[in-house]
Order: sequence, then structure tokens, then C-alpha cells
Amino acid sequence: MIRAINRAMTMNRSENRGLWLLLGLLAVFFSLSLFLIPAFVIRPFRYQSERALGLAIAVKRIAPTLTVAVLAGVVALGARLWRSSSRWLRTGIVMALVLSAASAVMVRQNYFEWMFNPITAAGFVPAGDAHVSDKEMVMAVRIGQEARAYPIVQMAYHHILNDTVAEIPIVVTY
Amino acid sequence: MARGRELHFYLAGINNQNFLMRDRETGSWWQQVTGRAIAGELAGSALELMPNDELTFGWWKSEEPHGLLLAPVQGHGDKDYDKKWEEEVAKYPVPLTFPGQGLKDRDVILGVAMGGQSRAFPLTKVRGASPIEDKIAGVPVVLVTGPDGDSVRVFRSQWNGQDIEIYRDTQSDENSDGHNDGQSSGQSSGWRLLDSLGNTWNFAGCATSGPAVGQCLEKINFLKDYWFDWKNYNPQTTVYSH
Repeated sequence: MIRAINRAMTMNRSENRGLWLLLGLLAVFFSLSLFLIPAFVIRPFRYQSERALGLAIAVKRIAPTLTVAVLAGVVALGARLWRSSSRWLRTGIVMALVLSAASAVMVRQNYFEWMFNPITAAGFVPAGDAHVSDKEMVMAVRIGQEARAYPIVQMAYHHILNDTVAEIPIVVTY
Repeated sequence: MARGRELHFYLAGINNQNFLMRDRETGSWWQQVTGRAIAGELAGSALELMPNDELTFGWWKSEEPHGLLLAPVQGHGDKDYDKKWEEEVAKYPVPLTFPGQGLKDRDVILGVAMGGQSRAFPLTKVRGASPIEDKIAGVPVVLVTGPDGDSVRVFRSQWNGQDIEIYRDTQSDENSDGHNDGQSSGQSSGWRLLDSLGNTWNFAGCATSGPAVGQCLEKINFLKDYWFDWKNYNPQTTVYSH
């Protein structure tokens, strides 16, 4: 009788364990999707429907918090199951940790700025001192008494420049 | 600036080949071409479009000898600042296509939007037959290619509340050919426009002689854009076809 009860308890335990493992696996997939869904939707030269874009932006907004929550959960679960796990399972736990950590890192990265480095400190030269061909196209603004120009070859790469002209904050985009 | 708040933007994504930016202050998402926030705390706000020009450096320098030019950013050279980027980009696929109005997806147009109407002027047409006169939402406008052959400006062709007809002074063309080799400092000697009232106008849109002398036409902002992008954001646009 006591033996039977013991066995039942063991079974219960291993069922629980399986459930936890499944939950951990799902959490890792969920965390990865928080990175991959926006990355997939917001990719160049592809059509973005309004709904897909809305979803991608919504996911991006919650992703930083949720990926950290998943990572914390995976750490806790891994620690709890570690001692009783086989070598295979431990490998799985490590992989789950790596993947959810990678996801938490990636959702914080702006890979668009990897491709097109932002201008952090803009320098200017007087028009008369610039070594630029007369034929080169520039974007030009004049605010009050101040005139500035931005070569298009530069803006076509960096895309965005935050500037202040005559004390007015402007953003130059191309 | 939006809602009285100064914002700083960074590149954050792409939407049908028009980029998305976010502001550091609120994290809101903005569409480049419209200057409107599409998501986040500031969704629905719009940035104010500043009067701006797209000119050759030579011409800009002749108008703004004391202006400042953005210097190349350290660490970036010809590899990033690819002078042939326009040709490169032209090879890439487009996410949207709008056939049926006689333009190809990557045809470059000058888009003018005013009074709830919008019109696309194919750049080749503007360069070929400057100045172009037209009416958009009842407002007379003129598109002018400058003496350098590349810079374009758009003006409201009205002075003193009166519609004026603007045309090229062909005599001045014989001097400057209207299309110099770009090596001049932009001071194309005789280039000027005439109007039906006896004024002469320079490329800045200011009268150099005649009854309007010293006064300037109202400059109209326009967008140089690919046809597919313009049409995407201005679905009702017409195409100039004279």
C-alpha cells in the first residue's frame, strides 16, 4: 500500500516535471517570437500592411519587458530542475537560457542603426571652405539668419540628423 | 517639435520603403515622409515641415555664401557615401506598385500637395520644359529648373493677389544656355524669368526689376519622391501630363 502510494507520488512528480518543461519550452518560443515577429514584418523591400505593422510595433513595445520576464522564469525553472536532470536535459536547459537571453538582448538592439550609423556629433564647414563638387545635390534650409545645407549622399546613408538652426530644433531626413 | 516638446529622432525601421523613426523622449513611432506619429504616446501628432530646398551645392553656395555645410562624419567615406546610390537603389524591388497613371514605380516625381489636392510632376518633364505652369486646387503654381539645370523650385505664381504668367527669357538663355557645365559658381550671368507684368525674376523667386522689384514670390514646399511612395501617401494624386 505504501509502495503504491509512493509510486503514485513519483508519477505525479514526473508529470509535473513534464508540464514545467513544456511550459519552459513554450516560454522560450514566445520570447523568440517577440524578437522575430517584428524583425520579419519590418524588413526592407517587402510590403508592410497596416495591420502587420501595427502588430510589429505593438510587439516591439512589450518585448523588452516580456523577454526579461521569460529569461527570469527560465533561470528559475532551470535552477529548480537542474539537479534532477539528465545530461541531455541539462543541455536543453542551457540552450533555453541562451536563447531567451539572446532574445532579451536582441529586442534591445537597433539593427537599423547598425546598417546606417547615426550622426552623433555633426560638424559643419563654411560654404566657401567645403571641398564639394558644385554639381552635388544638397538639402538646404534657411531659418532666420542661418543657412545650412546637408549633402544628399551623406543623408542618403545616415538618413536622420537632429540639428538646431537659429535655436529651432529640426530633424533632417532623407 | 511636437506638442511643444523638443524631440530627438533615430532610425527605427522601415514601412514600404519609407523609413520609420522613433523619438528618444517618448519612444513614439513616426513615418518619415508624412512627419506623423503612427504609434506611441504622440500618435496622431505631426511635425511642422520647414521650408526647404534641394539644390546643387554650387547654386546654394552662390545664394548662401555664409551658410554652413554638413561635413562628412568621421569614419565614413565613399563606401558609405555612395555617389551612385540612386542607380543602386533603382535595382531594388518595390513593395507596392501603382500602374495605370503612366508612371513606373521608381520614376522620380516632384509632388505638390495643397488645398487638399495633390499632383505629381515627373522630374524629366520638369527639367525638360521649365518653367511649368499649372493650377492645383485653383492656385497657380510654377515649377522652375534653375540655371544649373538641376535645382528645382516651386512658386505660387501670384503677385499682389493677381495671377501672373511666368516664362523664360530666351535672350538670357543665349548667354547662359540655361544649362551650364556646373563648374561656375552658380552665378549664371543672364538667367532670368519674365512675367506678364514686365517683371524679371531670379531663381530665388525675387523680382530683380519691374513693378515688383525687391519682392519675392511665395515658395511652395514639394517632395522629390519615387512615384510608388508618393502615390501610397497621396492616393488621390493626379499626374501632370501636358
